[in-house]
Amino acid sequence: MEEKDSESEKEAGLLCNDDEEYQFGGSVPKFQFRVGSSKARWIAELGMAEVELKRGKLWTTTGIIRTGKTYCFIEEALYLSEIGELQLLGDEDDVVISLKDLYREIAEGKCGCCWEDYEVYRYLKGLGYILGRHGVPWTTKDVVNTTPSDEDESLCAGEFSQDKDSITKRLSDMQICDARPVFDVYLPNSHFKKSSPGEPSFVACFSGDSPPSKEEIEVLQKRVASPLMFCHIVEGRASFFSFNSIDLLVLP
Amino acid sequence: MAPRWKWKGAEAKALAEPVSETVLELQSSFAQTVASGFLSSCNVLLSVEPEQADLLDRCCFGRPVVSVEKDKRWIQLSFEEAFFLFYKLKCVKISLHGCSLENEVDLWRSMSSFKPNFAISYKAYSHLRSKNWIVRSGLQYGVDFVVYRHHPSLVHSEYAVLVQSISGIDRLKVWSDIHCSVRLTGSVAKTLLVLYVNGIVKTENMNLPLCLEDYIVEEQTIRRWSPELSREDKTRT
Repeated sequence: MEEKDSESEKEAGLLCNDDEEYQFGGSVPKFQFRVGSSKARWIAELGMAEVELKRGKLWTTTGIIRTGKTYCFIEEALYLSEIGELQLLGDEDDVVISLKDLYREIAEGKCGCCWEDYEVYRYLKGLGYILGRHGVPWTTKDVVNTTPSDEDESLCAGEFSQDKDSITKRLSDMQICDARPVFDVYLPNSHFKKSSPGEPSFVACFSGDSPPSKEEIEVLQKRVASPLMFCHIVEGRASFFSFNSIDLLVLP
Repeated sequence: MAPRWKWKGAEAKALAEPVSETVLELQSSFAQTVASGFLSSCNVLLSVEPEQADLLDRCCFGRPVVSVEKDKRWIQLSFEEAFFLFYKLKCVKISLHGCSLENEVDLWRSMSSFKPNFAISYKAYSHLRSKNWIVRSGLQYGVDFVVYRHHPSLVHSEYAVLVQSISGIDRLKVWSDIHCSVRLTGSVAKTLLVLYVNGIVKTENMNLPLCLEDYIVEEQTIRRWSPELSREDKTRT
């Protein structure tokens, strides 16, 4: 994983305006599990982890709340595991799930997040942005009906299966350029509240191997109120483009 | 991006002399003395009086051909510029092989035969000109046109324009095209502007300038966003 070293970043800034160069400068930092990192348990049927022990303020901007419990998606679990903030435990036992297993899950794209999505997630999180899966509320008001945990799981499963469907569709439609909204992105904000997150600054979208067509952008923009930003990742280098319909000014 | 005026007082000068007014001046001057030119396979060569050459320069039509001739000036016009002066402003006459092309249809067809997709290119050009932007070739920036909000001596161009049409060659069809065009235009402080020129040409309008009425132009900018530079949200309390 490439990390920016702030010293070489400043230096590079003096020489050129090219921010992409920053990605390859600097040394790889060493993360260590901090004493008393958070713990979460992976629930295979949900494709999510239930947080059992929270440490640190990071949970104000990570994970979704359902009937008082916090759950996180695979990209959140993986990111926190990578930076040593989370120990992810297996379903059946307390064996820590290895990064290798998590990378494999992401590579297979079965939990609603593929590798491309994860690279953007990690990159923006590393810069301090707040990310949530598009279309998934940060928190829901308690719903009436069956026991809280059942309702909870079916809610999550429902959202999860929607995500799963969209990923499956994308994998099978490789020929067709499929523009899809993936993450709601908020600017770094120490006062962020899941109960009232406000509108995201933009929605990170992917269009696959080709840039999005004008029609795809129009269709997507009709469905999504926030500005759209299309991500393109190649070899760990992330670029973000916005395509905006304008009406060129009529001059005097 | 805010307009980058080239010198102090340039903005005031631009405000005092709107492009549209200079174009009207050009029209009335040429109405009295119609200039004539002739068509080649790639441009139109126009012969004008020195005062008219000056007006053409102020409106940014064509490039002067430098020569020792003093009483006449030669101006080299692109097809788009020439057709605009002929069809829209009605101030030039153009001939081909010694015959004057009085009829806009003949001129249209001649230009179209020399330049593929002339219709689309011209539609984009006239769309921009009709909004009173100065339009010049964008070749040196890898685009079709660059547009200025006033004379290039007063201001830098703000947009680099790529013309895209279903009927034409697909530009920006792979990601590296987007990266390339956005980076290039950004490095010269311009915003990439894509003009989508599309429409279904009515059968009776095929091969006629009337087909221009069947086209619609839609504008779209493409910008690259830098996450490192945008982290401060000044709007949130």
